[in-house]
Amino acid sequence: MQTFYKNSKIVLIAVFDTRLKSFQDIIFDLQKFWAEFGCVIMQPYDTEVGAGTSHYATTLKALGDDYWNVAFVQPCRRPKDGRYAENPNRTQYYYQFQVILKPAPFDPQNLYLQSIERAGFDIGAHDLRFVEDDWENPSLGAAGIGWEIWCDGMEITQFTYFQQVGGMTCTVPPVEITYGLERITTFIQNINNHFDINWNGREDDKKLTYGDILKRFEREFSSYNFDYADVDKLLQHFDDYEDECKRLISYNLIMPAYEQCVKANHCFNLLDARGVISVTERAGYIARVRALAKECCHAWCNTQ
Amino acid sequence: MLNELLIEIFSEEIPAKLQKKALQDAGILMKKLLNEYGMVFDIVKAYISPRRIAIRIDNLQQQTRDLHEEKRGPKIGANQNAIAGFLRSNNKQENELIERDGYYFLQITTCGIDVKSLFADLISNFIEQFPWPKTMHWYLPAKKELSAFWIRPIRSILCTYNDEIINVYIKSVDINTSNITYGHRFLSNHPIKVKDFEDYQTKLEENYVMLDYEKKVKFIDTEMAKITSKIGVAIQLDDDLLHENAGLVEWPFFHIGSIDERFMHLPKEVLSTSMKVCQKYFTLVYQDSSIAPFFGAVLNVPINQTIADGLNRVLTARLSDAEFFFKEDTDISLDAFAQRLSNLVFHEKLGTVAQKVDRMLSLAETKEENRAISLCKADLLTQMVGEFPELQGIVGAIYAKHQDEDKKVYDAIRDHYMPCNANDKLPLTETAARVSFFDKLDTLVGFIGIGILPTGSKDPFALRRSAFSTIKLICSNFNVLGNETLRYYIQTLVNSYIEQGIVIKHDATEEIIGFIIERFKVFACEKLLISYECVDAAVKTYQNKEIDLQEIIKNAKILEKLSKFPEYETIKQACKRVNGLLQSAPDYDILDIHSINTQQMNDVRDFLLNMSNNATIEEYFKQIAILSNLVLDACEKTMIMDKDVNLRNANLSILSAFINIIETRLGII
Repeated sequence: MQTFYKNSKIVLIAVFDTRLKSFQDIIFDLQKFWAEFGCVIMQPYDTEVGAGTSHYATTLKALGDDYWNVAFVQPCRRPKDGRYAENPNRTQYYYQFQVILKPAPFDPQNLYLQSIERAGFDIGAHDLRFVEDDWENPSLGAAGIGWEIWCDGMEITQFTYFQQVGGMTCTVPPVEITYGLERITTFIQNINNHFDINWNGREDDKKLTYGDILKRFEREFSSYNFDYADVDKLLQHFDDYEDECKRLISYNLIMPAYEQCVKANHCFNLLDARGVISVTERAGYIARVRALAKECCHAWCNTQ
Repeated sequence: MLNELLIEIFSEEIPAKLQKKALQDAGILMKKLLNEYGMVFDIVKAYISPRRIAIRIDNLQQQTRDLHEEKRGPKIGANQNAIAGFLRSNNKQENELIERDGYYFLQITTCGIDVKSLFADLISNFIEQFPWPKTMHWYLPAKKELSAFWIRPIRSILCTYNDEIINVYIKSVDINTSNITYGHRFLSNHPIKVKDFEDYQTKLEENYVMLDYEKKVKFIDTEMAKITSKIGVAIQLDDDLLHENAGLVEWPFFHIGSIDERFMHLPKEVLSTSMKVCQKYFTLVYQDSSIAPFFGAVLNVPINQTIADGLNRVLTARLSDAEFFFKEDTDISLDAFAQRLSNLVFHEKLGTVAQKVDRMLSLAETKEENRAISLCKADLLTQMVGEFPELQGIVGAIYAKHQDEDKKVYDAIRDHYMPCNANDKLPLTETAARVSFFDKLDTLVGFIGIGILPTGSKDPFALRRSAFSTIKLICSNFNVLGNETLRYYIQTLVNSYIEQGIVIKHDATEEIIGFIIERFKVFACEKLLISYECVDAAVKTYQNKEIDLQEIIKNAKILEKLSKFPEYETIKQACKRVNGLLQSAPDYDILDIHSINTQQMNDVRDFLLNMSNNATIEEYFKQIAILSNLVLDACEKTMIMDKDVNLRNANLSILSAFINIIETRLGII
């Protein structure tokens, strides 16, 4: 009690902590937590990716023996998941918070739990579980061993010890922690709908929700993905990106080459959403992207 | 506890589905290692919970067993230096040498050693040799190298022996063992010091870890039954789900939630699969086994309103998806999906699924079979099966019913994957049984036709399982073969493949029949519990006849019964005797079998010539038993290897005719 009165700072923190955590607060907190741990805080990859794994800060940097601790927010595009903003928690564009720790430190599970606690998540109020899920990304030739983290039956995070990237074994296996930011926020803000997420923390007329900012984006992109994307042009783009990727590898320009590979992958995802790729062709396209990713990763390792 | 060894490997969460098997493996492996070290102990008991495997060894003697072995030295008469060297290196005197089989031997006794000196090795080997189906290694920061392989990173190792803390260093995971463990991740999570197993188990219970896996499974089962009976429902039995739930919690807590009424129109299988696969929830049913609008969940912490809301919310999201798929899928007819099967590859060398369907159609006879075959694979392209692959067949049947197909047709679609192995249930109808038979046979013909056969433990296309299922169908009460032979179906499929331009061996039929028969012998042995010898014998009687598995089983069973009769021994004895003679005989021509010179041989010949050709196996057995006595008698009284070539040839010809009769009528040699 004495310290409580003596140190007004503690009171202030207590007051601050009971305030609603906004979407942006949660991101700040996670960034701060991991920066304190020793991560470099990077910014998103500026091309369309399906997951933070595709950021070169994950894929390429996971290879090799050098230390690499990084955290960043990555907007993700999954064209097929679009629901014209009508589904409360399925969207074709969403945010991941991605952490890569290479090498994996001792007890990263606990670090993770501390990080969400810092972001305002009440661990004592929920049923959190590590449920087996050996993650695989066939397009990137990446595979790992780990879990989905469940909160009251809902997957909120993917937790993976990488074993392989670009078809190559990780000599120093990193751990990848991928937070589903919207899902975690719905638990922290105690709401049911992604579009209701309070983005800026205001409760007055300046309050902005996820829906205010992204609903129109979601609707228009759903239409684009499913109904209007130009199939012939996309098919052409895919081939172009593939050629360009190969050409750039031949000059040992691995990062630009890798970017072409990622773009090809997004083209494929769009074509898939347009429903023009048959089951047989699908496997073929994935194999082509994987071949590019593999070549990039090999070349990356060879030119270190 | 006196002489009790306790080891605990504490790791990050072990996959729930692997725990049941790991529990068995842990006990077996530990026993094997203890024996290898010559350790003396009473019992080994293994325990498992999400974050640990623990092993208790009762009454482990402090010294390992004395080891007695005999060492062979130089040959007797070898030079003195060699003998002296042999004695010196084993620290023995000349009078201890034993002479045997032309060599010198020494009795060497290695005294038992202190078991404690072996614990580090024991634990390392346990980790190294554990048969996990899939493993990983992790980085050891202090050592700057990779760890040994385990299912997930190991975070600590506990070891106590005889009430003493064992501190040893396990190099492969860079961990010093201690007497410290941890409880429930969220309901405890402070280090716990333990003295021995009893203390360990008690303290873990206090910290919300139920160490006894089987007890936990049972606890979930009975608690669920109690809670659900209060609202007049019961859980739908599902052993896998029960075990999986046990593996997902350190200490089970329970919750019954309700399913939103608007989803209750979805087919039962869709509801229960969504709940099971995505959420590990139990389906609850009323007494008449209709589905109740509730679900049962097992939790790792006590339920509260927030969690209850969360569980409901996530199920609503899942079922909304299922409802979305159902609507989208049923907007399109199954026929339209079936047409798209020409885009779905069955195997790169065996064409598309549409082609498979065409081949199966070439075997169909009735209208219902035709229709069922055309639609049976269509659901593979539906969104529902895309989401829940385990519902293939079931979804097809639901959609077929939805578009008013005949009951025979949708029943066949539903059941045409059954039986998926030798233990699985049979389909409910003959149409389904036949469609299933065509499907599996087509797979066997295709893969064997392109030369893909299982080797050792590798059977990537589950051909052994397909063969088992095929056999089970043929041997069932359904008349899957109709009026045709197995060969007819195989040959028709071979022809269909070839007509489709798929390159398979023209002469594959014999190889396929051979493969099925080999599996059949195993099937009859393991599933019908007929001795291998009798099955093998019964199969041999079909060497020159069209193979008929049901007949073979019947005959094998009769043979098994007959083999207990004393006559069986006589037959075997005669066989052995004659085979010995035939093997040592020079080449002989079958000549005039009338030029024989003993009455006994004459009797054998006459008996052979008068044997009936279409008797039952029992009659053959009786006849052959009499014949065997005659043969044994003839062998006594006749100079089989007579110097006279003609006589000798005649004798040998008659005897080989005897063997031939036994082979073709009874199959035994």
